[in-house]
Amino acid sequence: MTLFKLAFRNLIGAGLRTWLNVVVLSFSFVVIIWMQGVLKGMNNQAVTSLVDAEYAGGQFWHENYDPYDPLSLQDAHGKLPDELKGLVEKGKATPVLIIQGTAYPEGRMMTLLIKGIDPEQKIISLPSSFLNEKTEEIPAVIGNRMSENTGLKAGDTVTLRWRDANGTFDARDALIVQVMRTTVQSIDQGQVWIPLERLRELSNMGGEATLLIVGRDISDPPQVNGWEFKSLDFLVKDITQLVKTKTSGSSIFYVILLLLAMLAIFDTQVLSIFRRKKEIGTLMAMGFTRAKVIGLFTIEGAMHAVLAALVAALYGIPFLTWFAKTGWPLPESMDSYGFALGEKIFPVYSAGLVIGTTLLILLVTTLVSFLPTRKIAKLKPTDALRGKSS
Amino acid sequence: MKHVIRIFIFPLILMMTAGLTGQEQLPDGDWILEKVDENYGSDNKIMTATMVIHGRRGSREVTSKTWVKGDDQSFTEYLAPPREKGTKMLKLGDQLWMYSPSTDRTIQISGHMLRQSVMGSDLSYEDMMEDPKLQNMYSAQVTGEESYMDRPCWVLELTSMKEDIAYHSRKIWVDKERFVALKEDRFARGGKLLKTTEVKKVEKMDNRWVPTHALFRDVLKSGQGTEFVVGSMEFNAEIPDYIFTKAALRR
Amino acid sequence: MIRFLIKGVLRDRARSLFPVLTVTAGVFLSVVGFSWINGIQSNWVEVTAIYNTGHLRVMSRAYADEVEQVPNDLAYIGVDQLLGNLRQDFPELIWTPRTKFGGLLDIPDEKGETKVQGPCMGMALDLLSEDSPEKELLNLKDSIIRGRLPEDPDEILITEEFAQRLGISMGETATLISATMYGSMSIANFTVTGTVRFGVTAMDRSTIIADISEIQRVLDMENTAGEVLGFFKTNLYDNEQAEEITERFNAKYSDKEDEFSPYMGTLLKQSGMEDILGMVDMYGEVIIIVFIVVMSIVLWNAGLMGSLRRYGEIGVRLAIGEDKGHLYRSLITESLIIGFIGSVIGTMLGLLVSYYLQETGINIAFMMKDSTLMMSDTFRADVNAVSHYIGFIPGLAATFLGSLFSGLGIYKRKTSQLMKELET
Repeated sequence: MTLFKLAFRNLIGAGLRTWLNVVVLSFSFVVIIWMQGVLKGMNNQAVTSLVDAEYAGGQFWHENYDPYDPLSLQDAHGKLPDELKGLVEKGKATPVLIIQGTAYPEGRMMTLLIKGIDPEQKIISLPSSFLNEKTEEIPAVIGNRMSENTGLKAGDTVTLRWRDANGTFDARDALIVQVMRTTVQSIDQGQVWIPLERLRELSNMGGEATLLIVGRDISDPPQVNGWEFKSLDFLVKDITQLVKTKTSGSSIFYVILLLLAMLAIFDTQVLSIFRRKKEIGTLMAMGFTRAKVIGLFTIEGAMHAVLAALVAALYGIPFLTWFAKTGWPLPESMDSYGFALGEKIFPVYSAGLVIGTTLLILLVTTLVSFLPTRKIAKLKPTDALRGKSS
Repeated sequence: MKHVIRIFIFPLILMMTAGLTGQEQLPDGDWILEKVDENYGSDNKIMTATMVIHGRRGSREVTSKTWVKGDDQSFTEYLAPPREKGTKMLKLGDQLWMYSPSTDRTIQISGHMLRQSVMGSDLSYEDMMEDPKLQNMYSAQVTGEESYMDRPCWVLELTSMKEDIAYHSRKIWVDKERFVALKEDRFARGGKLLKTTEVKKVEKMDNRWVPTHALFRDVLKSGQGTEFVVGSMEFNAEIPDYIFTKAALRR
Repeated sequence: MIRFLIKGVLRDRARSLFPVLTVTAGVFLSVVGFSWINGIQSNWVEVTAIYNTGHLRVMSRAYADEVEQVPNDLAYIGVDQLLGNLRQDFPELIWTPRTKFGGLLDIPDEKGETKVQGPCMGMALDLLSEDSPEKELLNLKDSIIRGRLPEDPDEILITEEFAQRLGISMGETATLISATMYGSMSIANFTVTGTVRFGVTAMDRSTIIADISEIQRVLDMENTAGEVLGFFKTNLYDNEQAEEITERFNAKYSDKEDEFSPYMGTLLKQSGMEDILGMVDMYGEVIIIVFIVVMSIVLWNAGLMGSLRRYGEIGVRLAIGEDKGHLYRSLITESLIIGFIGSVIGTMLGLLVSYYLQETGINIAFMMKDSTLMMSDTFRADVNAVSHYIGFIPGLAATFLGSLFSGLGIYKRKTSQLMKELET
């Protein structure tokens, strides 16, 4: 009978003990993959929520637009060329117009950006639909940080002042129709969102935009004069760098988790050998070479891992897939106010993670099964039969 | 533009026809503006003035001496306080330069910098640099009469004639006899009041009426504004041309 | 009985060593894993802390209300005394003053007129004091790309990108045009001595770094600063401690009626990162709980196995007349002893490694290709009170439960069967 069959028989024969060990090892499997996924997802959250809230599939920038120089805004707006207008009409992109302005909350003066967006847009998660409210004043949406900085809450009015395309001052009152709760600071700090058409009208910039946010289903952005396409990679460059740094930190934890799995298998193996000295002696007396005996125990150990992997797959795959789809919502903080953007952590399981972990555990288990069996090599069959450990 | 002309022409016709029927008529707004600008004069002037800037943490006084040539050239030297002393500014047309003695640097203030506030006051450089002749920017219409500071005034509503004027409309109270604007409100396009100027004192200097104390305020923010106090004013002054050159800044 | 059992455990090394090792290993991993996850929140906030809010930040109340606008006209006057008070009352932190400012950087030609000009953001910090923490905090020395660090008050650093855009070389004069805190225009000449890179586009665009004493002079801010930042000497951000310190400070020094009195805030509240950090915290806790549970299961299993293999011995003892209850209790006590010894050793080793990871941390620079961030890319663990006892949960409780359950077998089986197992 082959070693494999024998090993398998032994395992099944041991009954509950084997299954106990297999289940525990399978826990380690699932937990390792799950935890790594969550940690990675956590680190990625910054990028994911930024993309959802601001960048979608990329942006077209007016050639004079420089996000780091608010003074450039004066010249960074223009009518959308036909190709880009086409995208907007098909609902695949949405324009944003940005001008510099001043707000006067409670008599204080504060500079900010006034951003106009189509209330009906579905490209980014910003809750622009709130801007559909019909009010005398200009309906406006601000983020929770902006709300804290200015002391403005939903229902408050604030005077906004800006200069139109010709440099003439204009000032109107805006009504905060909603405060949005978001972790993305770049759609929150120092800015206020109002309906695009209103802004165009008030600033005398009919049909114009500063940038165009493109949906995620656009694969090949057109080349247009006067507008430069900025891909997602470019836009999230800084954050990705930061995320990479943080992700490397979580790999340390991965090592710790692997050690946990190793521990799980180690003690089972050692115990098994220790207890079965007589059996080892018998086998050797029956003609098994030392190598075969070592092979048998090693295979038994490895099989533990294989069975554990199978069991893990049984309950692990449905659980992990469900988790990956549903995600883990951000905790509601105590004084939560404003419309939450419903951000969630989505665990990131790469195929590499799953396969790598499986192979790694298999390897480690085999090794860990092999090492104690080397002791067997030192045993004299006669001693072993008697239960002595020489 | 058409909008403006419509507002302007209709009452003008009304006024003219009113005149024909012998009714009491309001004078022509543009004519009043012209008189106001005339009073200010296009001659050379030398004046000393103190700007009192009221801030959140107290008030500061900055004193300067200014040489003005015509309508669009001026040279200012700051005399006090010590930190400001020696700093000079030169305006030629729509260009503005500043000289700092401590760094020996001549710097042009342009574009966006012009929108910054002067010395932390409620005025921007742009406000300071604007054409002193209102008739060049606005068309006026008399809308009534009011008394201000015990002086009978015409109330004029000014509407910008060009598209790139910073303040879309203004309202001024002009002393009927002296043709000095005693109060001025500046409005945004939507009609919101943005800044006000209130003259507190008018004195006769060299046969002309000069507002010697005025308060300028940004109305949208809370604060006490900026005051201007004229120390001395010389009309028809003799000013050598070289003063209005960049080289003069460094002397 | 306990002493007898302890002797037994200590003497019968062959048998007890292994279970103790297992428990030790499990506890060790638990302690290190916990301390590591604990450090995650600190790692997340490090950049914000160093460049923006510190772990704690003191500003005047008025400045704090409008902090986004960098309202230097509302800066805190009396910073020298404030620093003195902070250093005396809260010595567990390093305190350092900073002022942010904005303006234009104007490069002159030979005639003293503008050659090129560009808007700039400025960070004024203590660059020149002997004991200034800033050089280390910002890792300035290792981040110089061209030139050298400023040695005189009128020398500044600018970002490499900015320097290239302006076409400026080291040693050249740059004039800063800014506003004093009272609104006057402030024009001052500086010499650019070196360039650095932040690795963050917004900052690399147009930032200059100057010494705070000179900026104080130039912006008419004697004895004044925009903010004072505090950093825990442990390098780790502890929110509870931070909150407690701010409460104490504000109660003593801050006055709601005086908008220019100092106000201290924590990193969490001021960085706008409360949401994210709350999330990191919560998820970290869940991860720890799951980890401890799994570790406990593993050790429980080990305990189970350990007891199961002793059925033979148990059989003998029953046969010679030991009372079942007594036997059971002795087994449990033994496992508790083993669990305890293992937990103690495991915790000690775990704390040792965790402290090392906290103080030295792991430098992940080797994992990053071109790490351009000025911050040290070191990851740290965070050892706190819980680290000291968390190992005992799986170590003690799990082993105990393991033998508790396996020991039940005693009650179930017949003595003869147990003895037979001796033979296997």
